[in-house]
Amino acid sequence: MNEEKIKILAKDNKIITLRELFEGKQKTRMEQAKLPFEEKIKALVDLQKIAYSWGKKKDVIIWQVKFPSSQTGKTVYP
Amino acid sequence: MKNTIEVINGLKKEGLIKDYAIGGAIGVLRWVEPFFTRDLDIFIIPQKEVGNRELFLLSPIYEYLKNKGYDKWVGQWLIIEGVPVEFIPAEGLAREALENAIETEFEGVQTRVMLPEYLITLLLKASRDKDKIKIQMLLEQAEVNMEKLKEILHRYGLIDKFKPFVKK
Repeated sequence: MNEEKIKILAKDNKIITLRELFEGKQKTRMEQAKLPFEEKIKALVDLQKIAYSWGKKKDVIIWQVKFPSSQTGKTVYP
Repeated sequence: MKNTIEVINGLKKEGLIKDYAIGGAIGVLRWVEPFFTRDLDIFIIPQKEVGNRELFLLSPIYEYLKNKGYDKWVGQWLIIEGVPVEFIPAEGLAREALENAIETEFEGVQTRVMLPEYLITLLLKASRDKDKIKIQMLLEQAEVNMEKLKEILHRYGLIDKFKPFVKK
């Protein structure tokens, strides 16, 4: 697969190569790694919710974590 | 998680543990992009160590927490303020990792998290598939002091195990 040849019509009608798409993904991951610890825990709780409902992992405990700006639901125990 | 940390800080304040640090997946999460995990691993140095650190008494901790109303267990996890927590007595490498953990804040509450170099070493020691993925994430996304990491790996005889992770 030639990542330079394959083009994608991306956000804002910008044409990028597949390589650029992968590089963008990596950049986003690096940016996410720099998020505050609190933001990462929020994201984790969202992932737990997805795993529980969409992923049908009913043994997942969704953390009951209260955040200053919002509040999650009650802890769901398996 | 703020409330959970406050409860754990209470264990130290009340003299039930000498010290603690967040390790495991949440320790890794501190340094890399968000990923799925189930529990909060708290490495501890218990106040009471019996017989040359061969026996760790966690019962005083559980008893204290039970009196505070934290008595719901799901498998091996004790639910503290909605978060499944596992207390792990730190010995050897884990103890060194705990002693070198950094102070950090979570919503204004002080806590301690293990450094990437120690997390990588602990993960390498376990070497399950999911541990290897986390090692890769730490190497890619965290600021890892490679000299320090190699020094720790040498001391714990893990340098050969680390070779597949070194980019050629």
